[in-house]
Amino acid sequence: MHAREEILGRMKSAQPGKALIRPSTQPLSELSLSREQMIQRFTAELSTQTGVVHQASTREEAVKILTEIAAAEGLRSVIATGYNIYGMGLRAFGEANHITVNTLDDLPDREALREIAFTADAGITFADFAIAETGTVGIIFNRHQPRLASIAPPVHIAIIPIEGLYPVYEGAIEKVFSNADDIPSQFSFITGPSATGDIQAVQFKGMHGPLKMIVIFIMGQG
Amino acid sequence: MEAHTDRFKETARRELKNEMSQIFLSLLPPGFTILRQIGMSSFPDPVSAVDQARAIRAEVIERMPELLEEFEKNAVSKGATVLWARDAGEANNIILEIARKRSVTYVTKGKSMITEEIGLNEHLIKEGVDAFETDLGEVITQQLSLPPFHIVGPAINVPPEEISAVFLKKGIIKEPTTNPIELGKAVRVYLREKFRHLDMGIVGVNMAVAATGTIINVENEGNIRMTKSSPRTLVAVMSLEKVVPTMADAMHMVRILCRNCTGQKISSYVSMDTGPKKPGEIDGPEELFIVIVDNGRSEIFRDSKTREVLKCIRCGGCLNTCPVYSKIGGYPYGFAYSGPMGQVLNPLLLGIKETSDLYHACTLCGACKEICPAGVDHPSLLLIYRAREVSLKGKDGKALPFIEKTIATFVSLGMSRAWLWNLGAKIMRPVLHRLSHDGYIRNIPFGVQGWFTCRDLPAMPAKTFHEIWTERKHSPVTTSRKT
Repeated sequence: MHAREEILGRMKSAQPGKALIRPSTQPLSELSLSREQMIQRFTAELSTQTGVVHQASTREEAVKILTEIAAAEGLRSVIATGYNIYGMGLRAFGEANHITVNTLDDLPDREALREIAFTADAGITFADFAIAETGTVGIIFNRHQPRLASIAPPVHIAIIPIEGLYPVYEGAIEKVFSNADDIPSQFSFITGPSATGDIQAVQFKGMHGPLKMIVIFIMGQG
Repeated sequence: MEAHTDRFKETARRELKNEMSQIFLSLLPPGFTILRQIGMSSFPDPVSAVDQARAIRAEVIERMPELLEEFEKNAVSKGATVLWARDAGEANNIILEIARKRSVTYVTKGKSMITEEIGLNEHLIKEGVDAFETDLGEVITQQLSLPPFHIVGPAINVPPEEISAVFLKKGIIKEPTTNPIELGKAVRVYLREKFRHLDMGIVGVNMAVAATGTIINVENEGNIRMTKSSPRTLVAVMSLEKVVPTMADAMHMVRILCRNCTGQKISSYVSMDTGPKKPGEIDGPEELFIVIVDNGRSEIFRDSKTREVLKCIRCGGCLNTCPVYSKIGGYPYGFAYSGPMGQVLNPLLLGIKETSDLYHACTLCGACKEICPAGVDHPSLLLIYRAREVSLKGKDGKALPFIEKTIATFVSLGMSRAWLWNLGAKIMRPVLHRLSHDGYIRNIPFGVQGWFTCRDLPAMPAKTFHEIWTERKHSPVTTSRKT
């Protein structure tokens, strides 16, 4: 008999348990936050993880913030998920600041991506969601969004339109998982840089993934 | 992994004298418990949040076969390959075959308790496929061949000098250092090349979502996201009980798991994979294998008395609150799982006979049961194991010594009849009084010496509470009243 049938068969031969009723729960308090409060909460939570949050009222301002970050971090080469993340025009940003910008358009295959992702100074990615509850960024990985750009470089910069801000995880999860035919191959929550405390409980950021995480909210034209 | 549950007492004695272990045991469990409380207080009603988690886990263990079939169906429909393994040997061979067919020379591994349980690293390495643990704590325990000291910080007690020495030997560092951050960064550099050229990765699974066929990993270091992103082939290994009904349940369990594990509200990364990468995606696995490992669990499930062990989500909350673990640490438990979690799991996975010391090293105080967000009733399980041990001994013709049996019979008679208990106390007091020194009875010369090898009994006081109470009723103590 196959292992599958044997294992499932043994479990099914067990006495059925009793029917269970889920207890009622109180709705999470974050659900009542206003947009302003959500931004505050998101910023406070991500800051405790050493993450930095910027707000840009326009795309142009976002590019200006990016330029300042590039100067402060001494970025020479970055991997970006596209030249036109939220219409920011990263080719021009790269040329103006003497930064090599590589995007998916320049990378033919996995080998090329790994070469760039593991040597770039920073990864600039679009992010689909921001969750106020814990200062968490939610990214859908697909053919426009490689996974390594947000995990391999030492700095991760996430550009998030403010429309993607939700109070709790469920807001993002419902959007991403409700259509069974359209679930992405990977969806990730990212809350701050990578971290560890495994030796003598000494905490530090930048274990295997980024050492720094920066979020730029695009607040919309309003 | 090779079990050493038979060395519980000697290892515990050694660890009680180990200064480094004792320092961390005095700080870590209370520290984690405080962080947990702070984390839990962010729920509008922490008690109902725990109740909800317990209800989810209770539903999982009632609906497990059905949920696993649903998970399999959905994972396969998204392009994953689901493989079932009866035991450790089968699981190890399935994974080795996957590696061999692809001529993989090495794999990187995310921290996974089930792969420690089945001894996957040892098997792969023996068969010529190098297996690199990538969680910092696991890197250290792998290099030093140590069992986990704590489920969250498996090497947190290891002195930096020892880490430095073994890292020097393995070429991970060039110059000795005892700075934890330098040691950590050296591992970052060492493993980056492995991640970059990786062909096959192996991870565990924190949750497998039946409704969507999604596997979820919870981590802080980024090693799991590296292992899931970089290679062409990904193997996710899960035990039966990792399944949860829906994504909504998974989100609640993520909140509960992180708070009870490290006290975090959420870990740095929660990655949710549904099938391998889709056409046109540049990274992520081209093929995703999900290995579902039984290794004794379907038998545990079939037994309605032990089924609830499968509720456990491996958060480690019980370790931090256990007065025994807090004195002896993880090593004495002799297996992948330590503390109350190990005391309830290991006897079922390894055998009642082989793990006797584990379920006896407990005062049944119930702290683990109280803190458990999954709703495991550890004390009741330990009592079941003790009862089973006694009946097993009977079957082997090695029944309990006559005197021990007699004492047990008398105690149980007395405990269910107050008058008999009081009479027994009167009779036993002079006997026990002669055997006690400095307020403790450390051994008695008949019958139950074994009991005293790791326990003392407080001496009986001159009078029982009942006697004092009766006396007081007859000569009431006058209390001064101020008006």
